[in-house]
Formats: sequence, C-alpha cells, structure tokens
Amino acid sequence: MALCLSLFVCAPACRRDAQAPPAPPAPKQSARATLVQVKGAVSVKRATGDEWLGAVNGTVLYDDDKLRTERGGSAELHFPSGTVVVVSEDTLLGIAETRAAPGRPQADVTVLRGAVDATLDRPANQSLTVGTPAATVRAGREIVFQ
Amino acid sequence: MSPALSAALALLVAVATNPPAPGETVVRPGESLAQLAARTLGSEGAGPELLAFNHLDGVPSAGTQVQVPGPERARAVAAIGSARSAIGQAPAGSARTEAEARLAEAESLLARARYAEAAAQADGAWKLLSDAREERSHFAVAVEPDGRTRVAVREGVPVRVEAQGRTRAVRAGETLTVVRGEPPGTPQLDAPGSTTTAEPPILISPEPGLKLALEPAPGGLGPVRFAWKPVPDAVGYVLELAGPRKQSLRSAQPLVTVPGLPAGKYRWTVRAVLPDGSFGPSATRAVQLVPGRIKLEVKETPWQ
Repeated sequence: MALCLSLFVCAPACRRDAQAPPAPPAPKQSARATLVQVKGAVSVKRATGDEWLGAVNGTVLYDDDKLRTERGGSAELHFPSGTVVVVSEDTLLGIAETRAAPGRPQADVTVLRGAVDATLDRPANQSLTVGTPAATVRAGREIVFQ
Repeated sequence: MSPALSAALALLVAVATNPPAPGETVVRPGESLAQLAARTLGSEGAGPELLAFNHLDGVPSAGTQVQVPGPERARAVAAIGSARSAIGQAPAGSARTEAEARLAEAESLLARARYAEAAAQADGAWKLLSDAREERSHFAVAVEPDGRTRVAVREGVPVRVEAQGRTRAVRAGETLTVVRGEPPGTPQLDAPGSTTTAEPPILISPEPGLKLALEPAPGGLGPVRFAWKPVPDAVGYVLELAGPRKQSLRSAQPLVTVPGLPAGKYRWTVRAVLPDGSFGPSATRAVQLVPGRIKLEVKETPWQ
C-alpha cells in the first residue's frame, strides 16, 4: 500500500522530468489601454520582451509595456475609463502599474520623452496620472495608491 | 426678582436675541478681547479681526469706542459658509484641493478684516466646484530634451503638479514648467493665441561640456560669449545661467557676452521669446570656467 502511494505521488514529478521544461507561467496581466489612430512609425515593447514590435490599431497595452513614436508618428491611447491620451511624435512612454481604489477608473502613464495630450470627459469619475522625470501630473479624482 | 437682576436679565435677553448692530460699541470694564469679539462679532476667536478692522495694535481698554463691521462682513461670512459647505460635499480631487486652498485664503483675509477680498476668494472656491461638476479636463504634458516638464491646461478643472514634495494646481489657460530636481514654481498665464510650435534654439558656443580657460575679469573670469542659432519668429531670447552665479539675461540677438563670471560649472539655458510674449522650448548645455592664466609675482632677490 505504501509502495503504491509513493508511486502515485512520484508519478507526476517523474513525468515532468521526462518532458521538456515547461514555459514560465504567464504573468498576470490586465489590459490598460488600446491603441487607435496609429499613424506613422509607432512601436511597442512588452514588459516581458526585449524587442520593439510595430503597433497597429487595436494593439492592447498592459502594465509596464512601453510605446514609442518616431518622427511623424502618433497614436491615441484609449483607456477603459474613457480617458484618451494622444501621443505626439518622438515620444517614449510607459504604461505605469498602479492600483486604483475599487470603482475608480484610473489610467497612468510615464512620459520619458516627447509630449502627450490628455482628455478626461468625466473628471469627477476618472483619474489620470502622468509621470515624467521632473514631476507627477494628476488630473481628475484623487488617486489612492495601495 | 430684584429690579437690578431683572434689568440685567433683560439686557442679556436683548443681547442674545438681537445680533450686534453695525456701528460702534464701547469696551466694557473688565471685558476681555475674546468677550468683546463674542459680543460684537459672535465669535470669541474674532478678536484679531476686530483689532484689524479698527487698526488697533493692542487690546482696547475699557471705555474705548470701537467700530463694528457691517453688512460687508456678513457677506464674506456667508460666502465662506457656502464654500465650506460645497467643499464638504465635493469629491476629492484637484478642484476640491484648489477650493480648499482658496477657502483657507478667504478665512485668512476675513481674519484681517479684508471682507470684500475674503468674499471674492470664497465665491471663487464655490464657483470652482460648481464649474467642475461636468466639465471635461484637457491638458498637455511635454518632456523637453533637458528634462524639464511643461504642463499646459487647455480647459476644465485644474490639474495638480507635484515635484520634490510640493504640489501646485495649474488652472485652465495656465502653463507650468518644472525643472528636474526642483519643486514646481508659479504657473504662468498663457498669452491668447500662443503657440508652442517653436523649435528649441540650437546652441553654438561654448561647446558642450567644454572646460573654458579664461583670464581674470571683473566679476570673475571672462569674457564669456554665449551664442545660438536664431529661432524663426523669435522677438528676443532669455539666457539663464545656473551655477556659482545664477543669472537671467535678456537679449534681442542670439548672442550674449558676459564680462565676467565666477569660476565653476554652469548650465546655460536659452529659450526664445515669441511674438505673443510666451516662451518657446528651451535648450541647455553645460560649461566649466577655469582660470586660463596664473599670474606670478616675482620679488626681486639679491641673487644674481
């Protein structure tokens, strides 16, 4: 009986040893924004990758992804809250990973270079934080960081 | 009940039921400033305000005739009450933060007996919250090559800009530039029709990172010549020096010659002044000024 039990417990491990190493578990990601109005050279670098990949309309951005526009390129970031961020040419920005209080839609970006233009249609119910190397800009509702 | 007690009670009832009428009153024997303020303004804490209203430096003695503010104070108090109520009901956010700041200023003005200004500030706080209810927020953030951040609010409720532990509210029509490592300054009002499409100046000399050897001159070492390429449509330029000497210089030409500067490392920043009076984007470089010649004084000696 004990032998049977030990074989039963050991079996899955023995099978794993026999096969190729499994891929690392995919990180838990939540969609932060969708790209629309993509014009010119616009690329995205995933938080989990090292390559800059060309972006198209409908590309979804997740926490810690980066977006780059070249000269003549531009795009719009649409957040689920309704907040729209227009990314100008020659801009490098990141999608920040923050958590809002429940029921408070929130969007966060970090602009490292270039310019963005943001619109909140319902600032009483939305919030946007734009971080830069020099300052943090907060618009809309007060933000609660956890 | 004795007649004296009845009279005192009648006086108390009269004082309690009738608010202090505008005009004058006389300080009673033994009456403290807090008591006088409570009697005339309805608040023990309003003593300093009463002194300010009467331009008095100290507590008035018994028998002194003092002026009591009239309807203008009532208007300011009512406006402050409305603003306080609106803030209490407003959701947390930039508009509320700004309204709270205005309310604090209104209360400070009230304490200095500046009633019209206090009412205006309080009304402003109330209006800020009422306007913010449905107004959309539209603003732009630009990071310049030298790391400066420029925040321009086009419309809607103010945004908050935080740096180095300090927060500034930027309202619609205002622009705030934050230098890296420094707290935010004061937002500037945008000129009507201003544009931000101007290019930053292209700096020519001194070369980037140069160690410039100069001779002694009045004020340090010099002369130091700063030059850059002209910016289209610029009506002038502003050169800012940051280092052992901080200085801001205006010039109509893309060239500034400083007679002398103390030795050391400097960052020099140039921005164009546009036809509408606004500033274009800036360009910054570093330069180090060092003595270029060591002056030797040789004393005569008997040695041949």
